[in-house]
Amino acid sequence: MMAKPRIVAIDDEPEFIDMIEGYFGLRGYEINVAVRGAKGIEVIKEKSPDVVLIDLKMPGIDGDEVLKLIKSMNPSPKVIFITAYDDGGKTRARLLKMGSYACLDKPIPSLRDLEATVNKAVSK
Amino acid sequence: MLDFYGLSNLFATVTNLGIAFLVYTKGHNSKLARIWTLFTLCVAIYGFGGFMASGAKDYDSAFFWWRLSYVGVILLPAIFASFVYTFLETKRTFFLNTIYLVTAIVWLANIFSKTLFIGHVTLIFTDSKWFAPAWFVYPPGPLHIFHTVFLYFILLTYLFLRLVLAYKNADPLKRTQIKYFTIAMVLGFYGGGSSYLPCFGINIYPIANITVPLYTFLIAYAIIRHQLMNIEVIIKKTLVFAGLLASVFAILILPTLLIQEYILRGADTGSRMAGLAISGIIIIMSVRRIENFLINITDKYLFQKKYDYKELLKTFTAEVLTVLELDKLVNLTVNKLTDIIKLGSAAVLLFNEEKQHFNVVAAQNIKDSSVTLIRPDGIVTFMDETHGYVLMSELREKNISIPDSIQEIIDKLNAEIVIPMVLHEEVIGVLSLGKKKSDENYTQDDLDILLPLAKTLAIAISNAELFVKLGKTQAEAAQREKMAVIGTLSAGINHEICNPLGIARGQCEAFLLNLKDGLYKNKTSEELIEKAKSIMVKVIKETDRATAITKKLSGFAKPSKGEAEIIRIDKELDEVFGLVGYELRLEKIEFLKNIQKDISDLFVDKKQFQEILFNLIRNAGQAIGEKGRITITAREEGRKVYIDVQDTGSGIPEDKVKQLFNPFFTTKDPGKGTGLGLFIVRQVVEKNGGRIHLKDTKVGEGTTFRLEFPVPAREGLKVN
Repeated sequence: MMAKPRIVAIDDEPEFIDMIEGYFGLRGYEINVAVRGAKGIEVIKEKSPDVVLIDLKMPGIDGDEVLKLIKSMNPSPKVIFITAYDDGGKTRARLLKMGSYACLDKPIPSLRDLEATVNKAVSK
Repeated sequence: MLDFYGLSNLFATVTNLGIAFLVYTKGHNSKLARIWTLFTLCVAIYGFGGFMASGAKDYDSAFFWWRLSYVGVILLPAIFASFVYTFLETKRTFFLNTIYLVTAIVWLANIFSKTLFIGHVTLIFTDSKWFAPAWFVYPPGPLHIFHTVFLYFILLTYLFLRLVLAYKNADPLKRTQIKYFTIAMVLGFYGGGSSYLPCFGINIYPIANITVPLYTFLIAYAIIRHQLMNIEVIIKKTLVFAGLLASVFAILILPTLLIQEYILRGADTGSRMAGLAISGIIIIMSVRRIENFLINITDKYLFQKKYDYKELLKTFTAEVLTVLELDKLVNLTVNKLTDIIKLGSAAVLLFNEEKQHFNVVAAQNIKDSSVTLIRPDGIVTFMDETHGYVLMSELREKNISIPDSIQEIIDKLNAEIVIPMVLHEEVIGVLSLGKKKSDENYTQDDLDILLPLAKTLAIAISNAELFVKLGKTQAEAAQREKMAVIGTLSAGINHEICNPLGIARGQCEAFLLNLKDGLYKNKTSEELIEKAKSIMVKVIKETDRATAITKKLSGFAKPSKGEAEIIRIDKELDEVFGLVGYELRLEKIEFLKNIQKDISDLFVDKKQFQEILFNLIRNAGQAIGEKGRITITAREEGRKVYIDVQDTGSGIPEDKVKQLFNPFFTTKDPGKGTGLGLFIVRQVVEKNGGRIHLKDTKVGEGTTFRLEFPVPAREGLKVN
């Protein structure tokens, strides 16, 4: 069995990131979190994760910029957006075009689905 | 002994001068009134000459005064003929010209010859028990006889005959005029004519001459009540003045006479002075009472019956018809009509679309204001089909029986005349007027003014109704626009609601899945309860967070109450920011508030004020797009509060500036704005007594809009 993907999650909502960390941590994933974009980039550079979970709208450096940076990295981790921002799909289309792996809406319909998406992202 | 003849002439001089003044000041635009003025002036000359002549000291002065008196008298029949012909609207004929010519000859003869007209004067009644001796023309000259017989008795009798004949064919108003006029003139002429008797050697004391001053009262009455000489308007003060003058004069004469004749028994200067002094005291003591009495009398008996058409028109065009508030308009109509026409009652009924009947919207002194008229009612059908009025006195006169159902409505309305208010061939309302307080019937003159008035009222009422509708439409448009703008906020709001929901849901789901997956196996039940507790606290916190924004949103979406109240700028700004803030933060737009300390509160509609700020801040945000700054500055200067909304956005191109406040103008992408934003903002600002303008804009640098509101007048108004 393949090793579980290593994850970095960035979200400005501490309670949310806390919940994500707890869920994946208890299931044996190596997960690192940050509540600011700038800090998140540092963690990504340090840990070189397989998957990055990012919120889109954050104070300071937001998801967009983090995505650009990740895309410039090699090898670049898969990016999954988890956001409450919905402008009728426009942003989602843009993010996918920019090379993100998936965009999930908050609230996430199911943590199991998220876990499945994370695993699927690295299986290819 | 009493110089009755002289005094009656003096009295005639005064009353005729009075009526000459009254007629001329009020009716000099009418030919009739001008002729009449001349007539009464001639009577006044007669009176004065007669007064001076009858009591003259010697032959020469009596002769002089009689000649002067006839300067007036000779002209009277010709002027009267001219009056009658004009009054009856008969053409100037050869006959009339002949009269003028003959009169002119006789008149000149009196001026230039001592023998042709007057002849001689004689002191008669020297042995009368009651009356003082008086000088009269006797024996008269040949032209005097000619004048008396042909110009006076024959010509006048002919003219009276013409009046009587005309009476039969005249309309009711003219009839009444002719009646009063003829009676007055017969009295005046034939009574005054009694002074011709001594000229023919018939020594009967001319007591009847007293009619010469009195006929003027009948004429005055006919003028006031029946618009004789087409004089429509009589100013109260003039009449009061004339009456006052006459009364004062009467009082002046009476005691003087009584004292002179019966107490002091002498005609010397001393007794006259004593009499005058006593009269003077009486006058001084009673003048104020007499004036009040006269004002009351004229108000009560004369002016209730006559109203000022000009005032009615002026009041309605200036004060009533321009009113746009329906309620105020109909109430003013009722009040002004009752006031000016002096009505016992009045009401306005309007058609109620919802209930499909006419109901009373304003009334004064009606019996039952709950009365309604439905379309199939006889009275409504009648008005619908004829657009005509229903005048009770007319129906009674023509012996038309009134159905009980209509009579009942008429009774409830206390109506004497019911006039439909017609607009575009449709009866939109009913004007119901009661009897005049004077009990006088409505005349053609009344109808001539009331019918067009009802028509104009219909227009004014429909305007007011449209205005109400327009106001509603505007309010609805403003509300729609607000909802549309809230729609454009949905991204920000969604973000703000879904974030807490995401946390709540995730926390709960994670706990359940961990439990299910056996990941909590090594935990004690106490630990699990602690864990569950902490999750529940978080869930409650996050749910509250989501609820807060929906509360703000629904509060903002509510339509305004339409009432102004005292608001604090700072507080309202915070509330608005509470809503737009999410969006601004998402777009990384900085929000700065710079409110002058101790700035006055405003007196505006709270919701509408929020809408204004909301729209402007929202616009500013959209102009910026992403990353920028909105600064709100508020300061007070000279009883005005200036609020600037400044953004660091894209600015407005010069060619668009002029269209900014036009409806449907927008620079936004489809779906981002209806283009009603600024158009409605301006309306709402102005409705709240403020102004808005573009203060400054530069492409690429930003835009500033300025709001201006007056500081409410009451000092010390502060929100608690």
